[in-house]
Amino acid sequence: MNAALESLRGQFARRGGALPGNASIGEKRKRAFEEFIARGLPTTAEEDWKYTSLAALEEQSLALPEAVDVATAMAAVERYAVEGLDGPRLVFVNGELIPPACQLDGIEGLEMTSLGYALEQGPGAETLDQVVDIDRYRFARLNTALFIDGAHLRVARDTVIEKPVYLLFITLGDDTPRLIQPRVLIEAERGAKMTVIEHFCGEGPAALVNTVTEVLAQPASELTHYRIQEQADTHTHIASLNARVARDARVVCHNIDFGGALVRNDVHARLVESGAHVELNGLYFTTGRGHVDNHTRIDHLAAHTTSREDYRGVLDGRSRAVFNGRVLVAEDAQKIEAHQSNNNLLLSRDCEIDTKPELEIYADDVICSHGATVGQLDETALFYLRSRGLDAETARGLLTFAFAEAVIMRLGIEALQSRLSRTVIGRLPDSDRLREFT
Amino acid sequence: MLKITDLHASVDGTEILKGLNLEIRAGEVHAIMGPNGSGKSTLAQVLAGRDSYEVTSGSVEYKGLDLLALAPEARAREGVFLAFQYPVEIPGVNNVYMLKAALNAMRKHRDEPELDSYAFMKLIREKMKLMQMDASFLNRGVNEGFSGGEKKRNEILQMAVLEPTLALLDETDSGLDIDALKVVAEGVNSLRSPERAIVMVTHYQRLLDYIVPDQVHVLSGGRIVKSGDRTLALELEERGYDWLAEAVGA
Ligand SMILES: Nc1ncnc2c1ncn2[C@@H]1O[C@H](COP(=O)(O)OP(=O)(O)OP(=O)(O)O)[C@@H](O)[C@H]1O
Ligand SMILES: [Mg+2]
Repeated sequence: MNAALESLRGQFARRGGALPGNASIGEKRKRAFEEFIARGLPTTAEEDWKYTSLAALEEQSLALPEAVDVATAMAAVERYAVEGLDGPRLVFVNGELIPPACQLDGIEGLEMTSLGYALEQGPGAETLDQVVDIDRYRFARLNTALFIDGAHLRVARDTVIEKPVYLLFITLGDDTPRLIQPRVLIEAERGAKMTVIEHFCGEGPAALVNTVTEVLAQPASELTHYRIQEQADTHTHIASLNARVARDARVVCHNIDFGGALVRNDVHARLVESGAHVELNGLYFTTGRGHVDNHTRIDHLAAHTTSREDYRGVLDGRSRAVFNGRVLVAEDAQKIEAHQSNNNLLLSRDCEIDTKPELEIYADDVICSHGATVGQLDETALFYLRSRGLDAETARGLLTFAFAEAVIMRLGIEALQSRLSRTVIGRLPDSDRLREFT
Repeated sequence: MLKITDLHASVDGTEILKGLNLEIRAGEVHAIMGPNGSGKSTLAQVLAGRDSYEVTSGSVEYKGLDLLALAPEARAREGVFLAFQYPVEIPGVNNVYMLKAALNAMRKHRDEPELDSYAFMKLIREKMKLMQMDASFLNRGVNEGFSGGEKKRNEILQMAVLEPTLALLDETDSGLDIDALKVVAEGVNSLRSPERAIVMVTHYQRLLDYIVPDQVHVLSGGRIVKSGDRTLALELEERGYDWLAEAVGA
């Protein structure tokens, strides 16, 4: 058994009994942990993990987090919180809720609590593990076994929550690598509408963030979900977003990865009734030796369901990215429409991208499209800008910015857009000039 | 101002320009006509510095400089401007900012102070009025979603702002309605001055009614096969190009 599993065993034995949840949750945790240990960490021998090696993680001795003092936590919030989001907010530092940083003023129709609190009260437990395909997503099992806290959100029937709900997860690494495991449960009841931002950032030495989100989108509901990941280049980040989309419901997910040493991001959307729609937008900008692996699965399980997926990547340095987009159309799921695209821009010779669509179609009356590109900047556009007097470096920077900006523009929340645009610009050569363009 | 001597250029191993000679003095307006595929755009792009064309021999002297030795941006800063036959759409790069960056790059090169946003907007509004362009174009991406004619107008707007010394207009008149043609011609004429030269590639004599050239050249088979005054354009309109090919034996 490797160091990581060994250490987790010790942690579970020592702290497993004191984790939130009643006896039945305790049972669930125990089973999940045993199954996780029995199967171990994924290896590159498995198709789903072919390009992403966890060898470095295996060597780490992980520990559950210790409490961070409030002053340190509040200072971190000050550093990382997105400015201009003034709606409901929950903040966690190293997995622990920081009440003075939260904004919980009652909003009619929105049930919003920390998951720990929800579990104490009872009801939050019902949706736990109900959406995620626990057999497939092994890290979700680890999360179930050892999560400490997270968020529980429910919007009441036909209620529209205007302001985005902001969930901020800050990871402060220390000498011992910590296992930070947010768990987020979201339910939009029939006809409800809301926006949730999950924002991951942090600093310091190595840490493992393993986060799981479960989304229940009831009929005719609308959920827009953001996962913005800007962690330190020492951190490992593993995420899974699992959504069950019912009749005429719409789920839109934005996945932005700008940080992390090793990132694995799974999205699994199941369109279970007719009229269900899912949209996935992704942007990853990898630098240094960063590694970002996006795996998406969209299951069209009913007729008249639609999906649209557009991931873009900018790779620099010696970084690596993986995109695997799987679309499944079940046997009786006629008249579905699924479009997928993945475009990548390579800024250096030493970076690498592996992109692969996987279509598995068992129905015959479907419209599916997919396309992937890997390349350099458009030579004609580059020449056009240079012929107007812009130097080559600025022209390249501008075109790279424009490529990423196409995804950022779709975010629809200005506070996020301007922050992310600034990050992109900051990473490009000649950023001072480029700043004038936004 | 511009002296092209025995210019040979090829693309992907195919020779397109085959010993082209042309001389243009400051203050002059030249028109270049010629059949499709004869190399007119190639000439314009080679002069602007497109590196997908390989110059295999010959020389181009511009204001005493070896033009071919300069990067495209250096040529632009020395006052060379190419209005593209097919202007490029660049979504995400804002029209105004691109133009402001372009103008300031030139000003910096000439040791003039850069224009701030206020001064620049004042200038561009003035030029847009001249081009009869709607202010909404300002906030769009470069040529993004512009109609064919709007793209051509945008090229001339850029020219009007950048005030080049040598303007190369590659079929700027194609795709313009008659009113737009007049507006574009006005824009070009307002740029005419003793220090500047203008080269217009066109298929239509009509343009030359509005912008009267000093000389007309026929480019065919990668060479200038005939030059004359503006009556040559009228003759071409009547007779086409075949008689020239026969006369030259090309
Ligand atoms: N990449 C290429 N490989 C081979 N031939 C090319 C390539 N690009 C252009 N050409 C050829 O070069 C020739 C000259 O093209 P050019 O665009 O200069 O013509 P033109 O005179 O501007 O024509 P038009 O009046 O239609 O605009 C054409 O025959 C064209 O097909
Ligand atoms: Mg042409």
